[in-house]
Amino acid sequence: MTGSLFQRFKGIVRGRQNRGPDLTTRFKAFQAMLDGNNRTLEAMTEMGEKLGGDYLFDVNYIRSAYARILAAISDSLDNFTQLTDNHYPQLVEILGRIDSLVQRMLTSDGSISNRLVVFYPEITWDLAEEVGGKNYHLAELANTLQLRVPEAFAITTAAFTTFLRHNDLEKRLAGLGKADSTTLTQLRNAILSGGFPEDFTTALNTALEKMRSRLGKNGTLSVRSSAEEEDGDFSFAGQFETVLNVPCTSKAVQAAYKEVVASLFQAGATSYQQQLGYDLGKLKMAVGCVAMVEAKASGVIYTAAAGKDRSHMAISAAWGLGKGVVDGLTDADLYTVSKGEKLQLVDHRIGGKARMVVNLGTSGIETQETPTELRPLACLSETEVLKLARLALAIEEYYRNPQDIEWAMDNNGRFFLLQARALQMDEPENEETSQNQEAAAGYPVLLRDQGVVVQRGATAGKVFILHHIDELEKIPKGSILVASHDSPHFVQAIPLLHAIITDVGVPTSHMASICREFNIPTVVNTGQATTVLTHGQDITLQAREGSEFVVYAGIVQNLLREERQGAAKIRELYEFRQQKYIMRHIAPLHLVNPLEQEFSEEKCRTVHDLIRFMHEKAMQALVAYAGTQGRGLTRFFGGKSALHRLTLPIPVQLLLIDLGGGLQDTASKKEVDFTQVGSAPLRAVLAGMLFPGIWQKEGVALQGRDLLSGMTRAADLTGGGDGLAGYNVALASREYVNMSLRFGYHFNMLDSYCSDKPRNNHIYFRFVGGAAAITNRSRRIALMTQVLAEHGFALKAKGDLLVGRLSGLSRQEIEGILEQMGRLIGYTRQLDARLDSDEMVSILAHRFLEGNYRLDP
Amino acid sequence: MAKHSIMVIDDEKIVGDMAKLSFEQDGYEVETFLNGESALARLVEKPFDVVITDLKMKGVDGLEVLRTVKKLYPGIKVIMITAFANLDVAIEALRDDVHDFFPKPVKIKELKASVKRALGEE
Repeated sequence: MTGSLFQRFKGIVRGRQNRGPDLTTRFKAFQAMLDGNNRTLEAMTEMGEKLGGDYLFDVNYIRSAYARILAAISDSLDNFTQLTDNHYPQLVEILGRIDSLVQRMLTSDGSISNRLVVFYPEITWDLAEEVGGKNYHLAELANTLQLRVPEAFAITTAAFTTFLRHNDLEKRLAGLGKADSTTLTQLRNAILSGGFPEDFTTALNTALEKMRSRLGKNGTLSVRSSAEEEDGDFSFAGQFETVLNVPCTSKAVQAAYKEVVASLFQAGATSYQQQLGYDLGKLKMAVGCVAMVEAKASGVIYTAAAGKDRSHMAISAAWGLGKGVVDGLTDADLYTVSKGEKLQLVDHRIGGKARMVVNLGTSGIETQETPTELRPLACLSETEVLKLARLALAIEEYYRNPQDIEWAMDNNGRFFLLQARALQMDEPENEETSQNQEAAAGYPVLLRDQGVVVQRGATAGKVFILHHIDELEKIPKGSILVASHDSPHFVQAIPLLHAIITDVGVPTSHMASICREFNIPTVVNTGQATTVLTHGQDITLQAREGSEFVVYAGIVQNLLREERQGAAKIRELYEFRQQKYIMRHIAPLHLVNPLEQEFSEEKCRTVHDLIRFMHEKAMQALVAYAGTQGRGLTRFFGGKSALHRLTLPIPVQLLLIDLGGGLQDTASKKEVDFTQVGSAPLRAVLAGMLFPGIWQKEGVALQGRDLLSGMTRAADLTGGGDGLAGYNVALASREYVNMSLRFGYHFNMLDSYCSDKPRNNHIYFRFVGGAAAITNRSRRIALMTQVLAEHGFALKAKGDLLVGRLSGLSRQEIEGILEQMGRLIGYTRQLDARLDSDEMVSILAHRFLEGNYRLDP
Repeated sequence: MAKHSIMVIDDEKIVGDMAKLSFEQDGYEVETFLNGESALARLVEKPFDVVITDLKMKGVDGLEVLRTVKKLYPGIKVIMITAFANLDVAIEALRDDVHDFFPKPVKIKELKASVKRALGEE
């Protein structure tokens, strides 16, 4: 980037004897590391774009794109190692693990560890695929968030493969294709009568012995599916068998295991797999063995309320085991908690809870009539609701998106988490259908607003009233299914359905999850659909939000939006997802806040984490070096220290490492201010940041904690070492600046050379992250893109990452643009929380370009 | 009006699958093939409106597909996609009257526009 600068430094410090590399070498390594990071990010962004569904690509492309990423990140790592005197040796090993995971996906090789059984505390991130999504997420709650999860172990996909092989089922599965129901029944029977290889039995026995010693001899297990992608992009909610109350004996667990595995091939589950583009027989299933909780009450939490309300969460609760709630067997209690400044119970509805599922110890479970005296009682006190809500919020914040959580409370009032997965939400859309009262004029209203909307949408069709599950096979295409209860079995009919309406049901059932996933308009708990509607009748359903819906007699053409896009979306292709999943090891950023404990070497899981970690630690290393060992350089610059604290009239403090001419000659103190900055590009950026009206003073509706962390901080210069984490640093010479600014959860990096030789001049800019919802974050990126594009930047954006570069302009032009970027950096600091609509993006971008920094709509 | 038909040939299933989904959404009829041999056999039975083929495949490669198509049905347009963009091959394909030539990954939108041009719809 700044070759001429290196040359000068070489001359300056050459020949000086010092322990380890000198500042010149370290600075050069820093620059080379940045270059490697930039190349990695660009390659990552490009790969993300190509794999986003708009391009046809093949595996060759993925191999070569990944090879570019690997080469670039390896360069970065080499330079980082040199810069930090090999202070972080684990990173090489972590990159090796990421690489072997990606290579395994590229070659579709089997498991990497070949462990058959893994206890939850031993489940690390690289085992995610082997233990399946459901096990992985639950283990993560216990291991990372330290939340209470029952004792549990996973039976891995490697064990699944040995089981199939032992029973000669591998080949039968490979040739399965679109099997008919007879073949599937035979297959299920073969699994159910299958035997176990010796190593499987041995591993299982060892695990069960451990379980017995922990749970006592009466302890029982819930044996549940955890298929590869389960609870990933697709929930598979309720598709596979769960066997409850299984005694901790080898015989019982093996029988339950076979039942769970056989459920891969039961009717509902196979149609779900086919809809997702799976060839039957391809999905590998891990299984979880989780200690049963003596549940007094159980239920489900949605950390965003039905519809798209992220400011509230919904908690359902019923007596006994959670099966009653998730299978929609009972009319549960519903609590609404507002998530604002303080968690608050804002609404509750006590359900009828006519039935409950009870634990009969070793003799299984039973659905019973709820004792009359228990029915009108609330399952949870307000204190308990809020306690649960806090747990849920911690989980949502950790995953950074709304969650669907299963919980149970034991007789001692302790809460256990049984499952957490991403909540399927329909993204907010413009209300194109809402104000169409007139459109339906003349059509009689059959049902209105008595019920709960699970999935919004307008659709029409013939009513099919379902009396028995067996009748599902007879449903004609295009029907609206009307039933007394909701049931996960309905999924097998989903390709045929236009809508589902039920008398009883909750928005937190398995069926509800699946209806949202497949975008089937659904209303539950209407109380009267099966009596008001008649079989074969034409109706139109318009479902909005909360309890707002209308059923009209007849087909109201004007209300019908375009036909559902069908399942034919590229992202639902199995092979496509498999390739896209490679990005999971590359793009997500887990290390966001350098001030948190999580920001450590061993928490790096992806290429992006490595980049972020190296950047932060490299700056710390440079600052530490400049502050303590850079005396040779200090001497050269006339006895001045190279490290300064820059104080500004805005709440941003910067540490400045003066590489020569970064400060004016008059500046000799450790504390300096804006007027003493000598670096042309740094002055320009700061001038922009200090421009009147740019630094929005009033708070935005984020949580208090975000606002606090949104204030940037400078470290205590005397602190050294650990105290150096997470602050802002500028490395500056007369014509160069590299600055890193972190505001709360987002991060700006700007690198610029600004001299009298236009061909040497450049600006490189990078922006990532944010605390608000992804939609708002990507809107902020859209706004920055519009503004930077006006200035002639070449830009790449993906999700909440933006990379821009520009070069070859004159000093005056570069300075002008840097000044605008300073304004943009200040302006966008908390902007994401305000960008409520796409229109706001254009409005604010226009205003910004006109020098108007008002934020009101 | 009858649907226009497209033949897609690529030895990687994912390419054919993605193309099939994308074009079917626009109302085309699509058949996919994993090698040149089976595609040519099918072509004898049915003349498609447009053929999209990978260049580098084992056995019958894209150039051979192109020549055979032109021999059988000079009117059918052939679009070639390849991961190994190479000027010599492109020139050779042009000589054989290829309609379009794209490096992979190719933007689906561009491919769709090219198909429309091939059908004289744009």
